[in-house]
Amino acid sequence: MFDVLPAQLPWWVVGPGLGALVVGLFVVANQPLGASGAYVQTSGLLRRRPDTAVWRVWYFAGMFLGGIIVTQILRTSGGDGRSGYDALVGTFSMPVVVVLVFAGATLLGYGAAVAGGCTSGHGLCGTSQRSPASLTMTVTFVATAIVVSLAMRAVFGGAL
Amino acid sequence: MSATTTPTSTAANETADDRKMNVIGLAFGALFGGLLAGGLLHEYDTIHNTLVLEDLYVFFVMGSAVAIATPVLWYLERRGTATAVAGPLKLSRPKPERHHVTGGLLFGTGWAVAGTCPAPALVMLSSGAWLAGVAIGGIFLGLYLREVQTRDLAADGDGDGEKRSVPIVARFGR
Repeated sequence: MFDVLPAQLPWWVVGPGLGALVVGLFVVANQPLGASGAYVQTSGLLRRRPDTAVWRVWYFAGMFLGGIIVTQILRTSGGDGRSGYDALVGTFSMPVVVVLVFAGATLLGYGAAVAGGCTSGHGLCGTSQRSPASLTMTVTFVATAIVVSLAMRAVFGGAL
Repeated sequence: MSATTTPTSTAANETADDRKMNVIGLAFGALFGGLLAGGLLHEYDTIHNTLVLEDLYVFFVMGSAVAIATPVLWYLERRGTATAVAGPLKLSRPKPERHHVTGGLLFGTGWAVAGTCPAPALVMLSSGAWLAGVAIGGIFLGLYLREVQTRDLAADGDGDGEKRSVPIVARFGR
């Protein structure tokens, strides 16, 4: 609508901004900014589980809302109407892409539950608390992801 | 539900503090989602290009976020800072356990294949990319499978602290 943002903000804006948010939520509410926890609580609310932390459902909705504000209102260049999966779509047929995305997402959801957190919970908030558990988890998942990505490129080539 | 320990935030017995916390959650979520969108972190290509070590954007984002938050949190905790709604600021530093490594192996594989993780997947949906719906459905399914498997989410430990018990916020899996 307004197109006031560049296609991609530089890392030295996004990174410190995220760091400030991590500090902010601890200062306000003593809580980590974990996204997989928000999924668990949203899933719990939908299934009417007792003891759902409702504020995490609002947090879940907020992430979607923030995405709307930036991608649909503040920026019209870049990201607009894209698949979100250009390299995958350029390498595989669409049914294969759907299967890969669903399988990968299921695996990462399961893995986040096993580890007790994801990129935000362990990778940003846990490491910022100097948690040995989070540091272990983060080093493991980043190293694994690099190996798997390089392996996919070596095996499938294409646009990967 | 144990009424004696942590005040819970179920829809049925919502208090003023809970409502305040809901607004805080919405605001932090919107800022978080907005920043991720600003950095195109919801795009598969951004994640993938970092993971094949071609453009280290994502690692610079994560690294600079942690580099800034770590010393500030350390200082604030040492100083005994009082949080706005939840008592003194208290960080959580659990020891690594086996499930952190197995979880990391599974999560890292999924992250590489799907090219997204829980928060960016929501922003991908905001951007209008329909494959985000496939990713979000998968994430919900994966989390649910683990819940069914363990029947007690606390079995996986306190991890990053998402499951720790502090005032206002309910601990799940109780």
